Amino acid sequence: MDAVYDYISVNTFWTILFIVHALLAVALLGALSHQAMSVLMRTRQAAGPAGFVTRFSSVHGASYAAAVCVLWIATFVFGAWIYTKYRIYIRIPLEQDGFWKTQGAFEMKEHLATIGLGLLPIYWYFWKNARNVDYDGARKWLTVTLAAMCWYMFLTGHIVNNVRGFGS
Amino acid sequence: MSTTTQTAVPTRASSLASSTAFRTFATVFAIATPIIYVTCEMANWPLFTYHPGTDRLNLGWAPAVKDEGPAMYWYGWIATTLLGAGALGLLAVKLPESATRRIPLALVWIAPLAAVPILIYALRFFWRW
Repeated sequence: MDAVYDYISVNTFWTILFIVHALLAVALLGALSHQAMSVLMRTRQAAGPAGFVTRFSSVHGASYAAAVCVLWIATFVFGAWIYTKYRIYIRIPLEQDGFWKTQGAFEMKEHLATIGLGLLPIYWYFWKNARNVDYDGARKWLTVTLAAMCWYMFLTGHIVNNVRGFGS
Repeated sequence: MSTTTQTAVPTRASSLASSTAFRTFATVFAIATPIIYVTCEMANWPLFTYHPGTDRLNLGWAPAVKDEGPAMYWYGWIATTLLGAGALGLLAVKLPESATRRIPLALVWIAPLAAVPILIYALRFFWRW
């Protein structure tokens, strides 16, 4: 790591990692939201007019599966990497300032990220067999579960960054 | 030569996607992950402890060292969970297909959802109003 620090400051390095983590999270959130809407709105998609919601949900869910797995893992790796700095430079001041619920919400985020990691192999399998009706129910609710987890993690990360992020 | 390279990757992916053994492994892995993770969190069973202040690793659980910053257990919980869920998944693959077919697929999303209230309870220290 010292070789990198010859070219950029320590703060810049960790800021880049955080921004990459955040951008990957945005891409993951978008992909999972489209996919979850596609499985939830399937009936209306066929019957309703081509409004914003219909267009948002009119995606081929199966084509998102591999990207979602790669994005979840990549976001997780970057998040786990910057987590060491969070533990020292963010969490300790949060404790000192008494932001207990913010910390609790962040702990929940790390739990959900890990559990989501374990769901990826079967999620990928279900979507690779998207024409198998035996998996329709499990595929639908697993996708919605992952999307809900992703939304929670995204918003919590955003809140923690608001409480003590850049410039604090 | 380039044709061989192009066809090799999709074949491998599709064979995994049509593999009954992989489906069994992935199903058990998905169900076991939240169960083992919640157990690790509540019983505090990390495979290792990381001390970010000093970049030191300890096998198993270790307390924070005075004046050396906090101890981190999350990485250790992940390792315990992935190894445990992986081992259970591999064991399940050895079972006859007639047995593994009976595993309800709905558990892959019910188990993680069921873990949420337990984890909220486990984090009760932080819910101070």
